[in-house]
Amino acid sequence: MSKLFVYSEEAAVLQELLGKARQAAGEQGFDQVVTAVFGLTAADNAAAWGEWGADVVHTVAEADLDTYHPESYTDALAGIIQQVEPDLVLVGATKRGLEVSGRVAERLGLGAVSWCIDFSFDQASKTVTAVCLIYTGMGQNSYHIDTHPALATVAPGTFQPEMAPGRTAEVIATTVAVNPRRLRVLENNEKAEAGRRLQDAPVIVDVGQGVRAREDLALAEELAQLLSGQVACTRPISSERDWFPEWLGLSGLKLSPDICFTLGVSGSIQHVIGIRDSKLIVAVNNDESAGIFSQADYGVQADLYQFVPALIAAIKARSIHKN
Amino acid sequence: MKIIACIKYSLDVSEVKVDPATKELRLAGVPRRIGAIDKNVLETAIALKEAAGGTVHGLTLAPAAARESFREALAMGLDDLTIIDSADLAAEGPAVTAMILAEAIKKLGDVTVVVTGETSDDGVSYQVPPRLAERLGWPLLGFARNITVNDGVITADRDLDSGMQRVEGDLPLVLTVTQETNTPRRSTLMDAVKAKKKPVTIWQPAAELNLTAEALLARVGTKRTAQEGIVVRRKQQLFQGEDMANLANQLLDALVAERVLAE
Repeated sequence: MSKLFVYSEEAAVLQELLGKARQAAGEQGFDQVVTAVFGLTAADNAAAWGEWGADVVHTVAEADLDTYHPESYTDALAGIIQQVEPDLVLVGATKRGLEVSGRVAERLGLGAVSWCIDFSFDQASKTVTAVCLIYTGMGQNSYHIDTHPALATVAPGTFQPEMAPGRTAEVIATTVAVNPRRLRVLENNEKAEAGRRLQDAPVIVDVGQGVRAREDLALAEELAQLLSGQVACTRPISSERDWFPEWLGLSGLKLSPDICFTLGVSGSIQHVIGIRDSKLIVAVNNDESAGIFSQADYGVQADLYQFVPALIAAIKARSIHKN
Repeated sequence: MKIIACIKYSLDVSEVKVDPATKELRLAGVPRRIGAIDKNVLETAIALKEAAGGTVHGLTLAPAAARESFREALAMGLDDLTIIDSADLAAEGPAVTAMILAEAIKKLGDVTVVVTGETSDDGVSYQVPPRLAERLGWPLLGFARNITVNDGVITADRDLDSGMQRVEGDLPLVLTVTQETNTPRRSTLMDAVKAKKKPVTIWQPAAELNLTAEALLARVGTKRTAQEGIVVRRKQQLFQGEDMANLANQLLDALVAERVLAE
């Protein structure tokens, strides 16, 4: 039996992986879509993953898996993969997913590819060919994965979830060997504002280092609010200035809104990959040579501190809204 | 402490271009250099030595001819550098790179901490550090910030997307850092002069690490079957002028005409 196993500790990412897996099962001939949930409450609502596309859900109710620990989760994921014996393993490329899947791949001797955006399964040879982004998104490679199972990591936002109400999954309570830990977790802290679903916003206002001070975000917030949008940012705005918990880009979120307004964003490929699936990109930058203009449908070469207030005034004056 | 800084002789991906007609990636002539993330690796490794004492050693996979490219890394404060002359094999992917690094670390001996970037500037697979930790059988303390070391225990904050996790681990372990971990120091002219005298050792995988090309290639696990560049086609219409209200209205006219906004 051909099996496609998907895993992410993030529910939203698991839904995306299951969406693609369900579709691939129909089109490429996987017989079964399998996933796993870890922790003492793993069995609660596990069958509901059927609605998102799982045929089988393995639950591992182990105290050591109740909160995320890289070593325990590595043991659990490796153990489940060995029991399920899938043909392909897809893991959500969150930081947790990346560190666990890399270690699992080495432990089980798996060929693994990163930044997978599509794949095909050859039923005769039971092997997988995966299409992956390379060079921070400048290009893509296809790889034939020689090992069985094959492993691929998938960035959040790559695939679409699809819910089929009423569909249920078989839930199997499973045990795996979890080794004693060596890293000791002292504290876990949620970041402020974590869990905002930027993926659902029809308009994104994407701020970069051209925005000088935190209070200036009010401009971006007002623009976003007028157009039913959300404010997002580049990596330095999140990681160095800490104005937002997450950023857009290769190492962050990838969004596909109807319109993405970039304000003071220079346009490195690492960032653009987070917004390039937008229907339309509007770039505001005072530097005519900014790389973002070649990535945008409409560019405005202007000081954002002068232009954005004028744009807000014009939106109000003309009662412009998101349709 | 015996600290190893793993650094990568990386492609400058900002110089990779796509031929819009053939979609071919133009890689010829794209320069290689020590990656930006590797400056953070060096800073972390050197700061650990300053805090806890010991020695700090650079380790890299690169063509032997590239040794001059590592002058700045030595100037920043490495005691010495080992180059594993295996640039072609490194291109075979993370499983091969991790195996070579693991064998080199075992040969260097008595290592207490290995510092790497969370991922490289060019490969960006995120696989090498976890694979390396697994091969060594050591804990992986990934995405670390605010790193302190005390009595053989490293404590750090791990930045994990939606949350921070504070952990401690006994040595030896593999530590990965991000571009946010620290601000790399700048070396002085005097440092650069001293760096010329620092030892650089070249190892061959087969001779020094007992890793034959066949054994390494058997671990690749993947085979590239196609490659193409991604060509983004955008309208690239630029509005310029001094009258902000006029610019705003031109933009809004365009977005209404595109039917993404309504009036």
